[in-house]
Amino acid sequence: MTRQIQMLLLLVIIVICAPWIMTQYGLTLATEIMIMAIFAMSLGLIMGYAGMVSLGHAAFFGIGAYTVALLGPLLHNVFLLVLCAILLSSLIALLSGMVFIRTSHFYFLMITLAFGQLLFALFWQLKSWTGGADGMKVSVSMDLGFGDIFSPLGLYYVMAVAFLFIYVLLRLFVQSPAGRIIKGVMENESRMIALGYPIRSYKLLAYTISGGIAGFAGALYAYYNLFVSPDLSNWMFSGQVMIMVIIGGVGTLLGPAIGAGLFIILQNFISSYTERWSMIMGILLVALVLAGKGGIAHWFAYIGSMVRRMRMKKDTRTKPKEEEVSD
Amino acid sequence: MTLSILSVQLLTGLAYGMLYFMIAAGLTIILGVMNIVNLAHGTFFLTGAYVAFSLLSNQVSFWIALPISVAVMAIVGIVIEKLFIRRVYGKELEQVLLTFGLAFIIADAAEWIWGTEIQTLAVPSLLDTSISFGTLVFPVYRLFVVLVGCALAALLWYFETRTRIGAVIRAGVDDRAMVSALGINVGLVFTGVFAFGAGLAGLSGVLGGPLLGMYTGLDSEILVTSLIVVVVGGLGSWRGSFIGAILIGLIETLGKIWFPSLSMLIVFLIMVVVLIIRPQGLFGRGVTS
Repeated sequence: MTRQIQMLLLLVIIVICAPWIMTQYGLTLATEIMIMAIFAMSLGLIMGYAGMVSLGHAAFFGIGAYTVALLGPLLHNVFLLVLCAILLSSLIALLSGMVFIRTSHFYFLMITLAFGQLLFALFWQLKSWTGGADGMKVSVSMDLGFGDIFSPLGLYYVMAVAFLFIYVLLRLFVQSPAGRIIKGVMENESRMIALGYPIRSYKLLAYTISGGIAGFAGALYAYYNLFVSPDLSNWMFSGQVMIMVIIGGVGTLLGPAIGAGLFIILQNFISSYTERWSMIMGILLVALVLAGKGGIAHWFAYIGSMVRRMRMKKDTRTKPKEEEVSD
Repeated sequence: MTLSILSVQLLTGLAYGMLYFMIAAGLTIILGVMNIVNLAHGTFFLTGAYVAFSLLSNQVSFWIALPISVAVMAIVGIVIEKLFIRRVYGKELEQVLLTFGLAFIIADAAEWIWGTEIQTLAVPSLLDTSISFGTLVFPVYRLFVVLVGCALAALLWYFETRTRIGAVIRAGVDDRAMVSALGINVGLVFTGVFAFGAGLAGLSGVLGGPLLGMYTGLDSEILVTSLIVVVVGGLGSWRGSFIGAILIGLIETLGKIWFPSLSMLIVFLIMVVVLIIRPQGLFGRGVTS
């Protein structure tokens, strides 16, 4: 636990100090990274802790964003509006999850993909409400009760607080009894059934929480970008978030956030040189999969264990009787 | 709606259904035998159409461009299977991710080569007519697509039930380890199946070119529709895909007329209803885990 508190403190310090060394452009980018990190963590939760690989998670992001866009003119309270977005996306995750979770992983992947495309098509086709393919402007202001926040720095800190909040929330969830049961289901489903756990309910719980957080990220994105379009629910976007999770490391909490950061930095950097970012992204994914060494968070863990093993070896060498050291 | 419009629309729906069947058949065979959701399948479809487009622009006849495009896509399939997918055999998630990455790469390469403009394949002059029965006018090309679809179904049926290759593939769907223990070269079967699926995607791409056109984003539309067909029809069952594809083709076409803004929703709801009543799909033998 102490290590986790150290980790959290480190994260808080990084997040607070980051703007001091960044340009205006870097700050905008960092704000986007915070939002995408929340989104990636929501997918990372079901992928890494519940073994549910979704290719339609952008559906919930889109629901959150469009909720803010459509209800923005009616509801002026930020907290209420964002809460609406979270509740609606959680509710839709709950209802759709009830059907989707009945199926095994390949079906789940295919069905979530189709679900994401369904919302994409709806946002596209319901032109009179959503503006169709042209997207729609979002007229809201980030007023948390002490005046309108519109400076890039203010917006950055709002998103950063949201990110830290979600990180702590997910950390607590993963370590709660329910979180442990969900992980148990991923690791050995038949054993958990034999132990008498209602595994579907637990999977559904994870899926609903994940959908709600994705909706939260979508809502924040609407505030950040002030413009929403059907592409926010496209499966290509779902796929990008999945790549963020994989770059960062499946099965870790912070990994997807790191992956989101790296992905967005790379995307902005490479896109300024070439239009072929999508191809480079594909090559990156293929290379990561073929290398089979997991994501960045796994590399850190691997390096950490290497260092520890070397230390242990040194210790054993000094002892007169050499013992076999196993990890 | 008059009867004549309805019957023409039914033919259109049937033609789309047959097209979806040809795509989904490849997808479902790969899924059944190799346990891979080939997310590059829609990209194979689009690339096949683009290859034919380039050949047609160079004055090659449609009837020569068709087999060449199919062969090109089959070779692409062989290369992908041997170079990439073979390295992660048995790791299911990795295989899917690999096809996903390849979909990005190939789709972007296609955009690079053929641009982002909407293109269309010309209907071959032989079929560029229509047949009329009294007041009803049917475009011949759509009838042709329906015929090809039926012929493919018959051919698949023949191969599956009457030939040794079909027996091996059926056995592979049921129990891969046993097939390999019987001394059959599973690696070769996998390469063959992947190439066959890619070739089918290419075939449907060329045949679909005159109906759907070619544009960026068509690959994902096609992928999603054929995934829905596979889910509705049942895993690894091309018979299920046949029925499922006709169902989806007809409902989508009629849905577009009656509820233009909700056509996708209707197709999706059908999938949800099927999943609730029969989670293994209409003709599936059970959900694999």
